[in-house]
Amino acid sequence: MASEGDDAPLVGRSGILASLRAGLRAGPGGTAAVFVTGESGVGKTRLLTEVASTLGDDVAVLWGACLDIGDASPLHPVLQALRHAGAWSGPAAPGSDGAGALLERVSHELRELASGRRLLLVLDDLQWADRSTRQLLLYLLAGLGEINLSVLAAVRAESLHGSHPLRRVLAELRRLRSVQVIDLAPLDREATAELVAAVAGPDAAAEDAARVFKRSGGNPFVAEELARDLRDGRVELSDTLREIFLSRVEELPPTAHEVVHTVAAGVEPVEHALLARALPLAEPELLEGVRAAVAHRFVTSAGDGYRLRHRVVAEILEQEVLPAEHALRHRRWAEAIEATPGDDDHARLAHHWQRAGEPIRALPSVVAAARAAEELYGYAEAFRQWALALTLTCDEDPRRTELLGHAAEAAHRCGEHQRALSTLEELAARADGPGPCEIHLRRARYLAAAGRTAHAEAEYEAALAAEECTPHEKAGAAAYLAELLVQLGRYADAADRAREALDLAEGTEGSTAALVRASAALGVSLALREDTDAGLAVVRQAVAIAERSGHPDDIGIAYQHLAELLANPLSSVEEGVVVARRGAAKLAALGQGRVHATRLLAIAANGLFRIGQWAEAELLLNDAMKHRPSGADAVEILLARCRLYVGFGDADKADRDLDAVATILAGGGARHVFPMLTLRAGNAMWRGQHDVARAAVQRGLTETKSDDLVLLGILAWHGLRAEAEARAGGEIPVDQLAVRRLQSVVDRMARGAADATGPVRAMIDAYLDLCAAEISRIEERSDPELWARSAAAWDRRKQPYPRAYSRLRQAEASFARRTRRAAATAALREAYETAQAMGAKPFLAEIVQVAERARVPLAVSAAPAAEVQGELAALTDREREVLAAVAEGLTNREIGRRLFISERTVGVHVGHIFDKLQVRTRVQASRVYLGAA
Amino acid sequence: MMLTEASVWGPVQREMAGVLAGHPGDVPGVVDQLTRLQAVLSQVPPLLEGNPLADFNRLYLTISENVLERLFAGSFADPGFVARLDVEFAGRYFDALRQWSDASVACPRSWMLLLQRIPCPGTGPTASAAAGINAHLHYDLPFALVTTLDFEGCEPVDGSDQHRDYLQINEIFAERIPGLRRGYLDRWQLLIDMMNGDLDDWWQGSAVEWTRDVAWRNTQKLWPIRHDLRAVAAEQARLDRTAEALGKLLLSPMGSLLQ
Repeated sequence: MASEGDDAPLVGRSGILASLRAGLRAGPGGTAAVFVTGESGVGKTRLLTEVASTLGDDVAVLWGACLDIGDASPLHPVLQALRHAGAWSGPAAPGSDGAGALLERVSHELRELASGRRLLLVLDDLQWADRSTRQLLLYLLAGLGEINLSVLAAVRAESLHGSHPLRRVLAELRRLRSVQVIDLAPLDREATAELVAAVAGPDAAAEDAARVFKRSGGNPFVAEELARDLRDGRVELSDTLREIFLSRVEELPPTAHEVVHTVAAGVEPVEHALLARALPLAEPELLEGVRAAVAHRFVTSAGDGYRLRHRVVAEILEQEVLPAEHALRHRRWAEAIEATPGDDDHARLAHHWQRAGEPIRALPSVVAAARAAEELYGYAEAFRQWALALTLTCDEDPRRTELLGHAAEAAHRCGEHQRALSTLEELAARADGPGPCEIHLRRARYLAAAGRTAHAEAEYEAALAAEECTPHEKAGAAAYLAELLVQLGRYADAADRAREALDLAEGTEGSTAALVRASAALGVSLALREDTDAGLAVVRQAVAIAERSGHPDDIGIAYQHLAELLANPLSSVEEGVVVARRGAAKLAALGQGRVHATRLLAIAANGLFRIGQWAEAELLLNDAMKHRPSGADAVEILLARCRLYVGFGDADKADRDLDAVATILAGGGARHVFPMLTLRAGNAMWRGQHDVARAAVQRGLTETKSDDLVLLGILAWHGLRAEAEARAGGEIPVDQLAVRRLQSVVDRMARGAADATGPVRAMIDAYLDLCAAEISRIEERSDPELWARSAAAWDRRKQPYPRAYSRLRQAEASFARRTRRAAATAALREAYETAQAMGAKPFLAEIVQVAERARVPLAVSAAPAAEVQGELAALTDREREVLAAVAEGLTNREIGRRLFISERTVGVHVGHIFDKLQVRTRVQASRVYLGAA
Repeated sequence: MMLTEASVWGPVQREMAGVLAGHPGDVPGVVDQLTRLQAVLSQVPPLLEGNPLADFNRLYLTISENVLERLFAGSFADPGFVARLDVEFAGRYFDALRQWSDASVACPRSWMLLLQRIPCPGTGPTASAAAGINAHLHYDLPFALVTTLDFEGCEPVDGSDQHRDYLQINEIFAERIPGLRRGYLDRWQLLIDMMNGDLDDWWQGSAVEWTRDVAWRNTQKLWPIRHDLRAVAAEQARLDRTAEALGKLLLSPMGSLLQ
């Protein structure tokens, strides 16, 4: 907001400026962000301006202003900036792709605007940004918009100390490599003195500067104003922002006084023409007033209109004026906006009418603002507008019924479940409200979304029992209930309800959606409970019905059920992959149902990963990313791709995807935290950062539900593996407390496994086998029998990766014990072939290493070692290996363990090495080795 | 009484800044930060480990370790919620310490009561711990709850998993807070009655037993207005004033009645 040349120089911030500029350079994922937090007057806006104005031509700068009008329209700061640049013409026609398509469109406009350059998006007063804007920001920062973007935003610290949603967002983001959160502290004594000297002149006495520092607490705004007082010889009366502003306002000439008050009540930027309408002043007087307001440093003027130099002024003035005066100014604003043709900022108009204390006149614009918000999928904003509209109407108002219906639906969509249900109750009680059947169905939907499934079930049953419901409605109720029961794992009940739905839908026109859902639910229930083939046949029927209807939602849902059922590891993964790809292709041909298509590709990729066809999976996932997923769908794809990168050993790409996931999840989404944590642990282990892996696992263990035994199994295995690797690596000490905790998790799993059944039980058992084997490795008694058992368990699960991993460890343990060498060699070759087929590079490297140490030739002969020259040429291969280990500082015992030979044999080798190299100590031998290497 | 801003933490200023630079993201991280904080606090002169904040921090560390153990043992219905609540909750304590370090005017008054007493002898460990817990539960907790529930996509519904977990944490606090056990409730009520009505709102006018449900109810009050920055700020000021009044009571000679 401050931009005039009469500002005091920026002092005491050169360090911060440097780190701001550095922080805005592209991070590893192509995006970067710096958030500046600080109290009012500490100079956040000033820093933003300074940075934005000193960037080169290779950066396109876009300023967005967040509004403090409570309920601004969705995406306001970004869309406003785009509109200003002439790049936004309003929302597109609604399609089935919803919010994702909107995000893509905004990114497209931003890309166009940047035209190849890096884009800097500057957002001041981010604490006022709506939920949609925060989500857009996360979408862009996660790189989903494919823009080289830097975000520079300022947030008032006062807002973050309450329960502001940004607080959590920033807490999550500040852990990323590409994000900085800079807490702007007040100036110190020296910087304050420098500021005083700059304003009041170099002759200002040291004790004056000290007094300014004491009174301002180093707040640069207050210090600057106190220094002005000093310079102008004014009596120092005030030392808070509030008092300073109020005393300054008093000094303004009457017209300027009015201008300041009117701009303060307005929504910035305030266009001159609008101000002229809102103020009952003749043009020359108005201009004089504006000029004085600018001269007294209250108002700034830019191309798009006037702004307060400091937004805090508006808050201070609001507390000072009479309520009637306040209402009058807002009414003038509302009238001025209504009189201006072409202005369709409903939220702004609603804000003024409401503050003007004229609810009846506010209602139309509130309703319009709610509808506009829904067009932009901003259901949180829409709900607040609908709720506001309800407070503006009385019970007798006939419009109220419709408003209640909208409010309940918007609340449901934005996750305000309680409000959705209570609003629906009010709707149900109205004489002119919808019939009982619709109420039951909506209540069931809202209850299911709120996780109150028992109540939801009862509502569906009530709809099925109600006389008022048509067969069509009942078919829908039974089908949705069947879906819900499948989700709850109650397959027998689900099958009953699905059959009921199919009976009801028979011969009922327009029941395709119910038919598809009921057939899918029935088929899945049959397949999982009794007869896989019969179940599959029914789901295939659902696919056929959906294809005939041609509706993208039906097609998407039917294909997803079929693909998921097939891609189950105990079924036919390959066929599942084929089905999923076919479904995605069908939807692509329709040009709709992008969300379903993305999910189908994710199912296919996960199937391919499980059966070890990683290269193919990667292609598929990259393809899925081209569908531009957002939210939870984007997270699924990124996690699946990241898992491949971890397997490939491409740690940097894995980290990039993990950062993107963490960015999206900063907006919420606890379910995805666990795969993120296990991937982080897996990636850290390949890098030898076993402590990082440990921390990720510990966090996962504290946040996992005690009855989710499969998840506990994955985490426990990762945790134990990290400790075992730490033990083997020797650089990071094993954490005994962590081992004990993991052990108790394993015990809990073992106890709980007894109650589990079917595939879940098999999964838990397989993880228990892995954990038991890993514990033997931590205890330095790695047991080939345990590893063989684990390999067999994963073989039964048809999961080649953990199977091959177990085989590697089995071989390693056998070599170390020098037993069953033939079996060990076979195991190692099996692991080798699997790893090679998958392209699992770090895993492969470990296999090769074990093979070399055990002197076992793998299927394909390794590249011949380079000819050894010089002093080391006298040594045998084995001796060179021992010497290399000596140079690492290992003891004979450790070397023996690594090379699968006894400590005594190592001693013999070392003796020979000393003789051949003519040295007497290990240090000398190491020096020779390092000199030659 | 007020220390000058250059020496809030005396000779361990730098160590304190180092500890407070951390923003732990999970419960093990919180316990770690509280442990390191305890080590630094016990070097703050003149009272060293006997200073009132060290007394509170010691208690808070014990409670946090207890929560962590229960998380590992799988005792909560919604551990993700508990873990994030714990992080959010502790974060507000660290915020208050940072604000105090910066001599910020935004430092909550309920916390300043205790922080101002760091160099003052004569505040018993029980009263200090109780005053800190008071600021933490009655001022920080409702906001931590709103933030956590919002992030988790839940709502403050009585009888929900989250409410039950919250009550379990209550129990941990209630067991550990010296001087505020159930047996003392009659005297506690007496003190409240002696106040001039400032606390009626907090106490909701009824003869409730001491319970952290106060924070849950305040959360439910905050919930519908959580998007309205002004309304939240007003509620923040109100809760701070109430917690401050209670804190003064706890630190006054009358507070010793509770011990």
